[in-house]
Amino acid sequence: MNDFAKKLFQDSKLAKETTPVVVSSRIRLARNLADFKFVKYACKGDLHAVAERCEKILSSCSIFTNNTILNMGDLLDYEKLALVERHLCSQEFIMENNESKLFFTDDHLTSIMINEEDHLRMQVFRPDLNFKTMFDKINAIDDHVSENLNLAFDNRYGFLTACPTNVGTGMRASVMLHLPALVITKQIGNLILAVQKLGFVVRGLFGEGSEAQGNFFQISNQQTLGFAEVDILSRLTQIIRSIIEYELNAREIVKKERIIWLYDNIGRALGILRGCYCLTSIDAINCISLMMLAVDLGYLPNTLRGDLHQMMMKIQNSHMQVLENRVLNGGERDIKRAELLREFFATVPNLKFD
Amino acid sequence: MEKCQFCGKPATVHMTQVINNKTTVIRMCNECASKHGLFDKEGLPFAMLSGLGEALFSGMKQNLSANGLICSKCGCTPMSFKETGRLGCPHCYKDLKLLIDGIIESSQKGTIHKGKYSREGAMAATMNATGSFTDTSAKKSPRRLSTKERLNELQEMLDAAVKAEQYEEAARLRDEIKNLKGSEGVS
Ligand SMILES: [Zn+2]
Ligand SMILES: [Zn+2]
Repeated sequence: MNDFAKKLFQDSKLAKETTPVVVSSRIRLARNLADFKFVKYACKGDLHAVAERCEKILSSCSIFTNNTILNMGDLLDYEKLALVERHLCSQEFIMENNESKLFFTDDHLTSIMINEEDHLRMQVFRPDLNFKTMFDKINAIDDHVSENLNLAFDNRYGFLTACPTNVGTGMRASVMLHLPALVITKQIGNLILAVQKLGFVVRGLFGEGSEAQGNFFQISNQQTLGFAEVDILSRLTQIIRSIIEYELNAREIVKKERIIWLYDNIGRALGILRGCYCLTSIDAINCISLMMLAVDLGYLPNTLRGDLHQMMMKIQNSHMQVLENRVLNGGERDIKRAELLREFFATVPNLKFD
Repeated sequence: MEKCQFCGKPATVHMTQVINNKTTVIRMCNECASKHGLFDKEGLPFAMLSGLGEALFSGMKQNLSANGLICSKCGCTPMSFKETGRLGCPHCYKDLKLLIDGIIESSQKGTIHKGKYSREGAMAATMNATGSFTDTSAKKSPRRLSTKERLNELQEMLDAAVKAEQYEEAARLRDEIKNLKGSEGVS
């Protein structure tokens, strides 16, 4: 494995400690330097200066111990995309300019994009729903940054951002949820509408279109102005707690009313994962989602939950290319993916239905 | 299969947005979605996305008197904002205030910052163990570096740039130092 691959594949706490229903959560803050144009309008020299300044401040921050800074311009396309797959940076971040840098800690729980659409996009992650810890952490990082850089701030508008949809707190908090039972019982559509009416945004995590694949959804706050950070986080926490309850109830209903259907689907999915020789990423994610459900329902050992999450990362297109250290075409990827899955699921014990 | 609203190809990205009880649905293909910077799919009201055209902008409260505005620092105008979906610099919030207030009204529920460093001092918050938050409001505003501190920092960076033989960067820093000294009347 090359250095980049090692950094990418180091044991992810995020995967290992993931919980049922809540897969992971994140808080992101957008900040800009007062004395420079926003990224889209800034010249190369300005962007370079912003990057230098931010890097200097971040590397002097005592909060971080083991971290990496990557110059995005030095990376291969699939390496950049693998960082997106890992949620360490956004898709937009890798498209824009060569003066951007990505800072992240070795545990992958903190990452900071320098020169995304805002000069700084700082994010912290957790494998569960614990916004208190996350907020304390990112707030401390933000304190360090705002003590050492002239941030663009206005008493009325708060933190000034390149897009007014982020102004104010500049904060976006999101939770990735695994909601197979709400999808099976067809309650997900109404839930999405209800959550949107409360001013929060829902999107499917994998696949495109109105049908989210693999039953993974991300919920985040839409409004950033007019509320304190803590109020936004409390409301999001409340909403997520009720969604968890709905999902758990829906699982009971599925077990009561459609148990044969459930056994059949989970059993077939494991069969596919053990026997496949060519598998698309959508099919793979749908099968893994059913394996996660099987763990949650006690049909597979609990210890598998983290491994399944790791597998889900590993079989994504760019992760496999990093692993192989070369570009793979679509067909090659499906074959490699099947190989990784076959190997892993050969070690998984048989299902224990109750 | 639904078609992309922009180019007519099959739509793969479908988004529904509800702002203040008004629902907007947008369908587009992958290409158009990325062209319009639709990657940060969280929280972006569609009417606001760059280049989405007049049809969508009609959903947004438009202040016609905003049309002649221009930012004195960066030259950004309501037109260039419509094209890119992004403002040019922090000063735009002053010079393009009419435009920005319209956008904020249609995309945000609040109009005044109540978070970190806000006047109400609502923050530097901590959450208690049960998950609800309490305020400790420690700070009132972000610290501003003094001119002297900034000059020191720039001088440091200039020295480093010269040492590393980055002459372009060094020239830029020299200009910045000159400007700063000029604007603050420091000799
Ligand atoms: Zn299109
Ligand atoms: Zn401006």
